[in-house]
Amino acid sequence: MILHVVNQAPDAGRTLEQVLSAMADDDCLLLIEDGVVGAMPTLAALFTALEGRRYVLREDLESRGLLGRQPEGFAIVDIDGFVNLTEEAAKTVSWY
Amino acid sequence: MPYLEEQNGCSTKGDILLVLRHAPHGSSWLREGLDIALVGAAFDRDVSLLFMGEGVLALLSGQQAGALGQKGTHPTLQMLEMYDIDALFVEQRAMERYGLVQEDLILAPQGLEEAGMADLIKHHDLVLTF
Repeated sequence: MILHVVNQAPDAGRTLEQVLSAMADDDCLLLIEDGVVGAMPTLAALFTALEGRRYVLREDLESRGLLGRQPEGFAIVDIDGFVNLTEEAAKTVSWY
Repeated sequence: MPYLEEQNGCSTKGDILLVLRHAPHGSSWLREGLDIALVGAAFDRDVSLLFMGEGVLALLSGQQAGALGQKGTHPTLQMLEMYDIDALFVEQRAMERYGLVQEDLILAPQGLEEAGMADLIKHHDLVLTF
């Protein structure tokens, strides 16, 4: 499993589109920083192919007042969870 | 390396994959990514390049220095062979997005569909995006 980490909002450019096109079937996605905007309910359709493989960082949701708005299917992880994910992953690829 | 359209899988392995997603001029992203490629190759790492999104424009022939004489990145691309960097890939969808064909390019990358890009990432120890 490869962990793909995205720090850009869906509307900020083509970063999200590019990472989604380069992910394998068992790879996981973690949204951090501005990327957490992607975990708002109206944008959930972007990630339907990633059921069970999508994560969003709690600290960055909290700081933006977005915690609690996430649709089902997004696992919320804190910094420790982030570290655990990187341990489980064969490698991490950052997209920004 | 031959340019293949509609290629699905990709079995190329290597130490470092640079994913280049920015066009020449305008920012230093592309130059910095290419610099890393040359440094990696100088240290005997197996380096592959994937030109993705706007990054495919880095391959366009006919590039020149900027209006104020700023060096472009095309001279660096022409040095890749000297550094034995010959694993070159391009996002097929981006080629289509910009209406480019092999004849428009200064090098001969292999075109990759989505599954091919995922394979490429999987088969490299270190993946850096620029």
